[in-house]
Amino acid sequence: MNEIIISIFIVIGALWILIAAIGLMRFKDIYSRIHATTKATSFGLLLTIIGVTIYFATFTVALKLSLIIIFIYLTSPLAAHSIAKSYKNDRDSKKLL
Amino acid sequence: MTQNILDIAVLICFLCMLIAMLLAFVRLVRGPSMYDRIAAIDFIASITMGFILIYSIVIKKSMYVDIAIIISLISFIGTVAISTYLKLNIKKDE
Amino acid sequence: MRIITKIYLAISFLMYYLVKLIQANVYIAYDILTPKMHTNPGFVWIPLRVTSDIGILLLSNLLSMTPGTLTVDIRPDKSELLVHCLYNVSDGKVVDEIEEMQDKIITLTS
Repeated sequence: MNEIIISIFIVIGALWILIAAIGLMRFKDIYSRIHATTKATSFGLLLTIIGVTIYFATFTVALKLSLIIIFIYLTSPLAAHSIAKSYKNDRDSKKLL
Repeated sequence: MTQNILDIAVLICFLCMLIAMLLAFVRLVRGPSMYDRIAAIDFIASITMGFILIYSIVIKKSMYVDIAIIISLISFIGTVAISTYLKLNIKKDE
Repeated sequence: MRIITKIYLAISFLMYYLVKLIQANVYIAYDILTPKMHTNPGFVWIPLRVTSDIGILLLSNLLSMTPGTLTVDIRPDKSELLVHCLYNVSDGKVVDEIEEMQDKIITLTS
């Protein structure tokens, strides 16, 4: 029974990472690509981490994995903001020239 | 029987992540601007984290979780460093 | 008594964040997997009512994780926020949603 729950979580997580990759290929605008990679990748990793936590089911592993989740959810929007802002600066300076 | 289900699920996960990594590499090679490539590199680091987490299920050792922490730290610092470097470079050109 | 209200507000904010997260991921997966893209990207400047630094951090984090919005830039005097939207920029739906988030954050951090 436990294995079935773990399998569901990790398969949906991997599918969400695949969806993010398809979005990275299909969108035409760079901002839309950043949308796809930020949201879908964090969600896929969240589901994968929940599956791994259920598999090991010890306290130290749960602590480490919750640290990873908090770190991803704090830094992934920051990385997206950093890329988008430097692209915007680039385009603005080219428009000025 | 139940162990069999977990094996099949791990196989499907590896397949999905391999296809995702292939698509990200295509975007890394083809990307029209530098910023597409930075987004693709960030995405590849995330896929590597997923790979290692699922590999820790295959090998049944929780030690591999530490590697995922280090990858999440380094990929964030790398992404911010490259984009800040590009931003500073543009300002110097003006 | 004040601590209990604080904890209640934090938990309700976390629930709101989780609901928005799942909604955002379902929207973006639907948008990627259907053959015809119905995105209509554009930019909008949002006037900020949140003044504290941690409030602005929470708002931009929440905006980047909710359906179809991405924080791009902020004015140097922290008065306006530049947001990139995927869907229906022209009508005021996006702005109303962001105003609701700002209300929640002001009640949380005050």
